[in-house]
Amino acid sequence: MDLLIIFISAAIVNNFVLIYFLGICPFLGVSNKLEKAFSMGLATTFVMVLAAIVTWLINNYILMPFNLPFLQYVSFIIVIASLVQFVEMFIRKTSPALYRSLGIFLPLITTNCAILGLALLSALREYNFIQSVVFGLAAGLGFTLALCVMAGIREELDLAPVPEHFKGAPITLIIAGLLALAFMGFAGLISG
Amino acid sequence: MAKIKVKHTLFFEFVKGLWDESPVFRQLLGMCPTLAVTTSAINGFSMGMATSFVLICSSVIISIVRKLIPSQVRIASYIVVIATFVTMADLFLKGNFPEISKALGPFVPLIVVNCIILGRAEVFASRHSVIPAFVDALGMGIGFILALTVLGTIREILGSGTIFGFLQFEPMVIMILPGGAFITLGLLIAFINYLKDKTKREEVAPACPVPYGSGASEVK
Amino acid sequence: MNKILKMIVVLTVIGIISGSVLAIMYQWSLPKIIENQIKSTNEAVFKVVPGTVKYKENSVDDLVYFDCFDGTGARIGTAILCSGNGYQGQIKLMVGVNADLTQFTGMAILEQLETPGLGAKIAEAKFQAQFKGLASRPPIEYVKGKSPSRPNEIEAITGATISSKAVVDIINKTVEQWLRLK
Repeated sequence: MDLLIIFISAAIVNNFVLIYFLGICPFLGVSNKLEKAFSMGLATTFVMVLAAIVTWLINNYILMPFNLPFLQYVSFIIVIASLVQFVEMFIRKTSPALYRSLGIFLPLITTNCAILGLALLSALREYNFIQSVVFGLAAGLGFTLALCVMAGIREELDLAPVPEHFKGAPITLIIAGLLALAFMGFAGLISG
Repeated sequence: MAKIKVKHTLFFEFVKGLWDESPVFRQLLGMCPTLAVTTSAINGFSMGMATSFVLICSSVIISIVRKLIPSQVRIASYIVVIATFVTMADLFLKGNFPEISKALGPFVPLIVVNCIILGRAEVFASRHSVIPAFVDALGMGIGFILALTVLGTIREILGSGTIFGFLQFEPMVIMILPGGAFITLGLLIAFINYLKDKTKREEVAPACPVPYGSGASEVK
Repeated sequence: MNKILKMIVVLTVIGIISGSVLAIMYQWSLPKIIENQIKSTNEAVFKVVPGTVKYKENSVDDLVYFDCFDGTGARIGTAILCSGNGYQGQIKLMVGVNADLTQFTGMAILEQLETPGLGAKIAEAKFQAQFKGLASRPPIEYVKGKSPSRPNEIEAITGATISSKAVVDIINKTVEQWLRLK
């Protein structure tokens, strides 16, 4: 029950992109084609789950026992950067096909604040191991969902007569605003 | 290089961050904190200050040590430098301004992944000497503070009916909700596009450019 | 080889410098951070149990509560830390009960993520003031759109019934849990 609440809360009610404003950069940058958005979402979800696991271990077995909370940000970001690099190398060696579809997105993920945000939030909320992993998975899926919905709308938008000055970022932001309002309708799901 | 030319360049490096290359409105960098913390003018301003502090300090440090860092590990080194300053800013806020620290929440540590800082480090600070690097960071920092304060002020006036805490009237709640953040920023960028009437505007938000070579591809 | 060595040396040096700078900074700011935390706990406890001069922190399992004493050392009540799910995220609050457990002496919202302008009104003084003098038994109930008529009732915020209900539920649950400890 507890895990279900964490899952629904992170994936839908407090969607990382639309409610917490985490990962806005890829949300604006990679949301023009549905297929690309989906791949990016999956790659991010994968890294998020890994990051949730590794940063939890570091936080609970290194930083807390040795009383080094001030190294949290430095160590988290280094771990995430190396993790992304490691995943990229691993995928390239083992599955060239997968690398071709996901590879170009992986470097983008390092500076995706959703990943660091996930690590920080789960440390802040003192989640246990299982909760952190569920949180990571849910946040990743929520990110994928937001990205795909946006990409679907933007594919249609290519045909719409958007006023000249609104083309590009402004109209994307306004659509995101409407989506955020729609997602607010999910609030209350967790309070039951 | 002639002295006059240097002066002109310095002035240019400073001013470009305010308007022509405004990090938020023109380059669309650092969108996450821009949207998240601008529920009030004071929050936006504080976030801008914290980010500028990190931006200026890390630009100066990176510019000083730029010749000592092997290019293969430069991104890792930059990240460590940036994260160090972010932690310092965070500890400072927690110690002296607990209220602001609470209001900004996780967005203070998230300055680490603010693309403005890594972007300036890679594009500018690592290629210029200390003074231009400082001026460039100062300009970008002030540009960022301006953008956040403007957005925060608009949302505070419309959403809470106050300015920096004063003034009172019936507010539109939507403006301080997440949706209001996106819509306000969208309208603001459209308005600035209108003012500039720029023809070479990019079709799609460039967003955070690929973090210049943090990928394995560079470490061959 | 030489190049790799240089990379390792540079990264190590940067790491050491960064670590030591942060350690110094942390030592310097830690007392202030702790002081701030104590100050905010103080404020909350003094607010929910008026007249408190001294308090003692206790914790059983996950439950944290503060026994409050007045100037003469007599126990005048208890401040209980409560948390639970609200409309959009976790709500953390503190509620005060008087010594003979008949009345609530006050309530303070410590953290909330409710909708600004609607649910977030639970953090306003007007809503919180309703809990002062509220009967602690039977469990709190909320009414909509009219003034409370019974001693254990509060009025829900217009347009934010779920947030109001969440606060009531969180308090009822935690207080019951705490009473079972006694």
